[in-house]
Amino acid sequence: MTQSSIPTPARKYDLNFARWVYQNVEGGDRLPLCMQCGMCSGSCPIGAEMDNGPRKLFMMIRAGMKEEVLSSSTIWNCTQCYNCVVRCPRKVPVTYILQGLATVAAREGYAPAKATAKFSRAFWRSVRYFGRTDERMVTVLYYFSYGIKEGIKRALANLPIAQRMVKAGRMGIGLPHRAKGAGDLRAILAKADEIEARERAGQ
Amino acid sequence: MSKIKFTYYPGCSSQGAGIHLDRSLHAISGKLDFEFETIKDWNCCGASVGHVKGGALPSMALSGRNLALARQQGTADVVTPCAACYLNTHFVNERIKNDAKARGRVNEALDAGGLSYQGDLKVRHVCEVLVNDVGIDAIKDQVTNPLSGLKVAGYVGCQTVRPFAQTAPGGEFTTYDQPKFLDQFAEACGAEPVPYDKARTACCGGSVSIYSPEKTLHLMRLILQEAKDAKADVISTPCPLCQQNVEMYQAAINKEFGDSFNIPVVFYSQLMAVAFGMDGKKDAALDCNMIKPDKLIDKVK
Repeated sequence: MTQSSIPTPARKYDLNFARWVYQNVEGGDRLPLCMQCGMCSGSCPIGAEMDNGPRKLFMMIRAGMKEEVLSSSTIWNCTQCYNCVVRCPRKVPVTYILQGLATVAAREGYAPAKATAKFSRAFWRSVRYFGRTDERMVTVLYYFSYGIKEGIKRALANLPIAQRMVKAGRMGIGLPHRAKGAGDLRAILAKADEIEARERAGQ
Repeated sequence: MSKIKFTYYPGCSSQGAGIHLDRSLHAISGKLDFEFETIKDWNCCGASVGHVKGGALPSMALSGRNLALARQQGTADVVTPCAACYLNTHFVNERIKNDAKARGRVNEALDAGGLSYQGDLKVRHVCEVLVNDVGIDAIKDQVTNPLSGLKVAGYVGCQTVRPFAQTAPGGEFTTYDQPKFLDQFAEACGAEPVPYDKARTACCGGSVSIYSPEKTLHLMRLILQEAKDAKADVISTPCPLCQQNVEMYQAAINKEFGDSFNIPVVFYSQLMAVAFGMDGKKDAALDCNMIKPDKLIDKVK
């Protein structure tokens, strides 16, 4: 685990972790308004793939269960349909909070093997170097993030779809798509990283 | 009549899986009273996964750069046809506009690329522009080849309905439940919208369907089943990722659940291009659909 500035609760019902989430996670400032009605979990189309669901996860945050929260499948399997966001009677931006927790969990090394984290790494690499998402590059980087053998297996399994996409003119066979100012964009992203690191260090 | 000008953000899918949305939109813009000027050298918005690796501020900086470039081209509203592009760009625009701290942080990052943006543009979705600025009647006026008898299931998807509602995250999403615009588009084209209420704003699994389809096949199955029950000839959608997922996973769903789906999934703009009497390939881009919309192709003039 990396050196973390996130407080680890020393006793039960220690609010330090909850307060940290309220102040540092996108949308977290509205989390104290959660009244545990369960509208979010009840509205979730992919709740069956979640260990806790958002309602329970939010209570776990209050209970200081940092490890369990940041290793929960709930933050990884959100499809971002925003059903919970539009339905929450207290206007808690549930999806945004789950996104924010996913970023924190990935940065702190909680879930290196999760599909979402692997896919995001592949995706971000394409964005950072080329300024655009190249579907071919993202999928290939993602498949081979599971190792060479698994990568070949996944690539072959998806080859029929890729062939149909090429045939339909929706997947090119040329160089990756790129923005001309990808270099400028890299400088902007590096600066944004620097600002976030500076803010974390200043906490 | 002079055309309404928009600054257009096509998004990455316009060069790949969603190329037929971009192509058909440009085609119908020739017939309708709007025109697009593309953001020069636009970049990715981060979609729905970038933030995990990229982090919150770098993700905001992606849309910040696009908005700064759009502002250099003028003050026209920024429009995008993609659900994720809309959500991200709109969200960042609202943050820059309303939150001085966020504005400062994004601009400090943008400065490293010699750019700045103060939040004075408006970000909109193409469908909302078609309903509110162009108008359903103006669409109807262009129909020379009505799609009579074509049964259309209007599948809006989840993220696209945000433009019809208020802005900030967690804000007043007032009209997210039963948006009617796809049915209005289909009707204007002379087609027949079928009842499609359960799955209309259901989720196709989004990017989870790309990296872990085994978790989301059942979601896409619901979307297909309601269309099949309603005897739809095609599913119409505005979202590039919905179009891709619901189309390309039908074989996998059939294998997993023993179904026999083979339902074409098209963009509303492809329906319009055909109804406007335009070329089926060059304008409607029907050659890009992997499941051929035979009944729609039959109607091409």
